[in-house]
Amino acid sequence: MSEYKYDYYADKKLKERAGRTHDHGDHDHDHDDHAPINEHDDGPPSEFEIMSRAMQELLEEKGVITAEQVRRRMEVFEEDFPYRGSKLVARAWTDPAFRQRLLDDGKAACAEMGIDLEVDRLIAVENTPDVHNVIVCTLCSCYPRALLGMPPTWYKSRNYRSRVVFEPRAVLKEFGTVLPESVTVRVHDSNADMRYVVIPMRPEGTEGWSDEQLADMLTRDTLVGVTIPRVNAAS
Amino acid sequence: MSGTHPNQGPQDIGGAEAGPVDTLDHGMKFWERQANGLRSTLQRNKIMRTDELRRAAEDLGSRYSELAYFEITTSALRTVLIEKGLITEHELKAKMEQIRARFNVPDEMESPLKKGASR
Repeated sequence: MSEYKYDYYADKKLKERAGRTHDHGDHDHDHDDHAPINEHDDGPPSEFEIMSRAMQELLEEKGVITAEQVRRRMEVFEEDFPYRGSKLVARAWTDPAFRQRLLDDGKAACAEMGIDLEVDRLIAVENTPDVHNVIVCTLCSCYPRALLGMPPTWYKSRNYRSRVVFEPRAVLKEFGTVLPESVTVRVHDSNADMRYVVIPMRPEGTEGWSDEQLADMLTRDTLVGVTIPRVNAAS
Repeated sequence: MSGTHPNQGPQDIGGAEAGPVDTLDHGMKFWERQANGLRSTLQRNKIMRTDELRRAAEDLGSRYSELAYFEITTSALRTVLIEKGLITEHELKAKMEQIRARFNVPDEMESPLKKGASR
């Protein structure tokens, strides 16, 4: 026990956040939120949990990483990253010149907002009355984490990765999204160096809304393209 | 739709038939968040690249489809760290023993003092 270098379980603040339930007032969106509600760990630790901790401790002892660095990364993934994409796209909705810059060079537009994407390239794809975009990573789980946080469970799931590329309409329907037949659905397959983000269409009835109000409507699922922003969901 | 190309890795599932999507986000367990924080720190410290981790994951072969997402990434990280000589198998085994022992603490509710107090 003497070489107990770190104990994130003892970090009460972090632990509380792990188990928090998301308070968004009276409106109800159980799976389409900016940040997920985490599940508690039950039962004894698995071999993988022990392995993961063991690797961290060894690397700390060797001076390759510090516990503080890992803790900080856990924090930004939960507290900063999930809220950046909605701010970015809200700005694209209200500032046409910025929207164009985002479409031209996503990484540079993010840098303007002080966002380090930590990947080589970001491609923003815009929904129009004729085209709807959806993103996936068929090979693993490449995702614009620096904009949306960790990918939701379904994004990493075999079923989503397998099917969305050949029957996107059927998959979208499972998310409650039904598009007119006249709309072309484009599916974008991400990779380790190149990520996508969807710029949804701004709904009618949001004229004069502040960037904050608009950002609240731009949930994670709308920026992946499995749902579309709705006025009543953010009111 | 599913292909059976001889060079197709276990990760290459785009286009395969599969069941309905569970559209609920189950979030992450605490250890999964730690595993993600560790991976992210190693990439940020330029110890490892995403592609290296992916290659190690894809080398899992038939185990790939049996493991959950963070079990895959944790297995892959182990491979990469050992390959890079940052840790040895022996060190990892010993450290895992230590941690296993650390978890094996008596439950405080089983303490004779507590039992006495609740009577």
